[in-house]
Amino acid sequence: MVDIMDLTTAEKPQWCPGCGNYGILIAVKNALANLGRESHNVAVVSGIGCSGKDSHYIRTYGFEGLHGRVLPVATGIKLANRKLTVIGMGGDGDGYGIGLNHLIHSCRRNLDITYIVHNNEIYGLTTGQVSPTSMKGMKTKSTPHGVIEMPIHPLALAISSDATFVARGYTGNIQHLTKLVEEAISHKGFALVDVLQVCPSWNKVNTPQWFKERIYDMNQAGHDPSDKLRAYEKALEDVMTGYEKVPIGVFYRTERSTYGDELPQIKDAELIEHDIMNVDMSKTLAEHI
Amino acid sequence: MEFIWKIGGEAGFGIMGSGILFGKVFTRTGYHAHVYSEYPSLIRGGHNTTQVRISDAPVHNPKKTCNLLVALNKFAVEAHMNEITERGGILYDGDEIDLSDLSLPQNVVLYKVPLLSIAKQAGGEVIMRNTVAMGATLALLDYPFSHLEELIKEVFARKGEHVIDVNIRAAKGGYDYIIDNYNASEYPFSFEPKPQVKRCLMTGNEAIGAGAIQAGLKMYCAYPMTPASSILHYVAKHEYDHNIVVKHTEDEIAAVNMAIGGAYAGVRTMTATSGGGFALMTEAIGLAALSETPLVMAIAQRVGPSTGMPTWTEQADLKFVLNASQGDFLRVVLAPGDIQEAYELTQHAFNLAEKYQIPVMILSDKFLSESTTSADIDQLNKIPIQRGKLIVKDMEPLAQKEKFKRYEYTDDGVSPRPIPGIIGGEHVATSYEHWENSFSTEHFETRVKMVQKRAKKIDELVKDLKPPALHGPEDADLTLVCWGSHKPIVFEAVDLLNDAGVKVNALHFSYIHPIPPKAIEMLKSAKRLVIVENNSTAQFGGYLKEHAGVEFAGSILRFDGRPLFAEEVFEHAKLILDGKEKDVAVYDKERVEYYSAKLVGE
Repeated sequence: MVDIMDLTTAEKPQWCPGCGNYGILIAVKNALANLGRESHNVAVVSGIGCSGKDSHYIRTYGFEGLHGRVLPVATGIKLANRKLTVIGMGGDGDGYGIGLNHLIHSCRRNLDITYIVHNNEIYGLTTGQVSPTSMKGMKTKSTPHGVIEMPIHPLALAISSDATFVARGYTGNIQHLTKLVEEAISHKGFALVDVLQVCPSWNKVNTPQWFKERIYDMNQAGHDPSDKLRAYEKALEDVMTGYEKVPIGVFYRTERSTYGDELPQIKDAELIEHDIMNVDMSKTLAEHI
Repeated sequence: MEFIWKIGGEAGFGIMGSGILFGKVFTRTGYHAHVYSEYPSLIRGGHNTTQVRISDAPVHNPKKTCNLLVALNKFAVEAHMNEITERGGILYDGDEIDLSDLSLPQNVVLYKVPLLSIAKQAGGEVIMRNTVAMGATLALLDYPFSHLEELIKEVFARKGEHVIDVNIRAAKGGYDYIIDNYNASEYPFSFEPKPQVKRCLMTGNEAIGAGAIQAGLKMYCAYPMTPASSILHYVAKHEYDHNIVVKHTEDEIAAVNMAIGGAYAGVRTMTATSGGGFALMTEAIGLAALSETPLVMAIAQRVGPSTGMPTWTEQADLKFVLNASQGDFLRVVLAPGDIQEAYELTQHAFNLAEKYQIPVMILSDKFLSESTTSADIDQLNKIPIQRGKLIVKDMEPLAQKEKFKRYEYTDDGVSPRPIPGIIGGEHVATSYEHWENSFSTEHFETRVKMVQKRAKKIDELVKDLKPPALHGPEDADLTLVCWGSHKPIVFEAVDLLNDAGVKVNALHFSYIHPIPPKAIEMLKSAKRLVIVENNSTAQFGGYLKEHAGVEFAGSILRFDGRPLFAEEVFEHAKLILDGKEKDVAVYDKERVEYYSAKLVGE
C-alpha cells in the first residue's frame, strides 16, 4: 500500500492558477499510489518547460534533464534497471517539437516506459509562442499573424510508429486521466498519454469552454482499441471534423515484446546487478593475437 | 631490423584487411608491427594505401618511405614510387600494368608477378590479388610460408574449406612464383621467425573499446561517425560476451542523453563520436556536470571544420572539447598516446567520472583510432575499479516529504550518490541549480556555494593526474612538447636527433586537462620549448601558454590531413634549433589526390 503522502514533496507546485499541470500531477501520483509503486522504485524523468518541474513535485527518484531529451534519459534508466517504473513527463514543445525524433524511435523501440505529454498547444515557460500542436491560424507571440503550418497529430504519429499503447486524456476529467495513466503504467511496453490541458496564461483559444464543447470519451462511445486502422482514424478525428469532436480515451493498445525482452544480455539480471569488478578480458584480448 | 610494406590500389579490394593479415604473420612470430592506412571517404574507387612497418622493437607510427610497394594498379606506382628506398622494390602485375612510360627511380627492383592469373588459377577472383602479393612478399623476405598458411586457415575458418584452400593456393602461388623467377636472396631484407609471445594487434579504437569493457562498461550508446564508428562496432561485436547493451541511437543527442540516463541509474555507460557528433552532444556535457552524473565520452578527431576531410587526421578539436557546453564546470580531458595508454586511460576515465561525478573526455584522432599497433598482452594493464560515493545499498527510509541530500556540501565537493531503487535515496538529478536536497533554487548564496562545491573536486582530482612523460636526455637544448596520438612520432624524432648528436627531448601529455601540477614545473625547467601539433593554430600550445605561463620558441604544425612523420619533426627541430626556422607548417607536396585517384599540380 502506497500512501499518496509518500509521493508528496515539501515544495508546493508553482504553476499559474488554473494550469492543467496540477491535474496531471494529481493523476500521476494517484495512479502510482493506486498501483502500489513505491517511491524508491519509480524514476520520473522530465525535460524543460512548465512540465519539467513535475519531477520535483513527486517524491520519487527524478531526473530533470534538457529540453526535448526526456525519452533518451528515460531509455538509459530503463535499460539499466527494468525493475524501475519509468515515467517521462514532457510538454508539447519538448516532446512534439525539439524532441519529436526521440518519440518516434521510442515508439518503435517499445521499452516499458510511460510518456505523459502535457499538451497545452502553446509554449508556456517561454511566455507564449507557437507549439507544434497549436491550431492553424492561432496568433501567438512568435506568430503574430497566425500559424501557417498544420499542427502535429501526435497520436496518429505514434500509431504509425508502432507504439503499443496510445491514449489521450484531458485535465478537466481527472478521474478518467488517472485511470488512463494507471493503464499506461501497467501496459508492458511504450505508452504515450497525450494530455490535453489548458494554459490559462497564454492559450486563449483552447479554453475550458472550448474543450467542454468538443471532448468525449471514445471508449464509452464504443471504440475498440485493438483495431489499429480505426485507432488511426480516431487519432485524426479532431482535425477531420474541423475540431467539432475531440475524442479522449485509449486509441490503440496491442502487445509486442519490449526492446529489453529481446536482449539476452539482461535476461538473467538487470545491468545494475552485473558484477563489474572482475571482468575477464583474456578471451577478448586473445582474439587480437 | 625493420621492413616497410606498402600496398596501394582503389577502395573495395581488401587493401586494409591485407595490412592487418600481413602484420599478424610477423606479430605471431616475435616481431612488432604498425599498420597505417590512408583512404578517401568512398566505399569504392579513389585511392587507398596501407603500410605495414615490421620491426624487432615496438613500433607505433609509420614512416615516409617503404621498402616494397605492392601496386594493385598503375596509379599506385605513379603515386608512391618516390617513397621507395634504395634497392627496394615494386611488386606488381606485369600482365595488367605497363610501367614502361614511367620514369621510375633508380635502384628500385621490379618484381613482375602475375597477381590476377595466379589468383584465378587458384580458383579465386580479382579481390585475392592481395593474398598472392602477400605470399610473394614472404618469399622475397626468405620467410617460411607456413605462418601465413596457418593464419589463412584461422581467418577464413568460418567461410569453409573451399575459401581456405583457394586463399592458400593463391598465397602459395605468389610465394612459388618469386622462388621460381627471382633470386630472393638479392633482396636486401630477410627475416626469420622468432619465438612466439602473447602479442596482440589492435587499433586505438579497439583499445578504447576493450579498455571500456575491462572497466565494466554495461551500456554503450552511439551514432556512427568516422573515425569513431569502430568503437561502436567493437563493443557491439562483444555485447554478448560481456553482457553489454549496445544501442545505435537515432542521433548523437539521444546517445549522450541515454548514456547519462544509464549512468544516473548506476551502470557504467559511454558514448563516442567525432567532432560533428560531439557538437550535437555539447549541451548534455553541461547536464552531466550540473546534475553531477558521471559521463565518459571518446572523441576521435578528424579534419574539420564541418564535414572537412572525414577519413583524415587532425588534432584540432582540443579547444572545442576543453570548452564545450555553457557555463563554468570541471571536466577531465585525456589523450592517449598509444594503444596501451588508450586501454588504461579509458579505464581511468570511468574511475574519474564516477569518483568525481563529472564528464570525462577521451580525445583520440583518426591516426590513433584507426592505426593498428602491436602490444604484448601483459602490457595491457587492468586498473582497479573505483566507484566513489555510489550508494547501492538500502538506507533508512526518508521521512514524509523529505528528499535525500544528493548535493550535500562535503569536504571534497563530492556528494553521496544513491541510485534509483535504493530505499531512502529519493532525489532529483537536475539540470537546474539546486539546493543540497536537489530542489531547484535561485538563491544567490546557495548558487555560489554550489559552484564552489563542484569546483572543489579539483583538489583531490589533481592527485589522480599523471605528469607528462619525458623522453630523451633530461638535459636538452630543446624540448618538443606534444600530446595525444603524436607521442610515438615525436619520441622517434627525439631518438633520431640524439643519434645525430642533437640534444633534444620531448614531453608528452596524455593528461591534458586539468594540467597535472608537476607538468608546469617540468615545462618551466626546459631551456627552449617547441610545440608539435596536428593542427593549424597550436591549440595545445595556446592552452599551455594560458594555464602554465610558458612561451614557445617555435612550432611544428601540420594540418593537411596526415599525422606528422618522425622524419619531418627531426628535420624541422634541427632547423629551429639552428635558428633557421621558427613556426613551421608541414604539408605534403606529394601529387596524389586520394578522392579521385589522380595526380595534380606539379
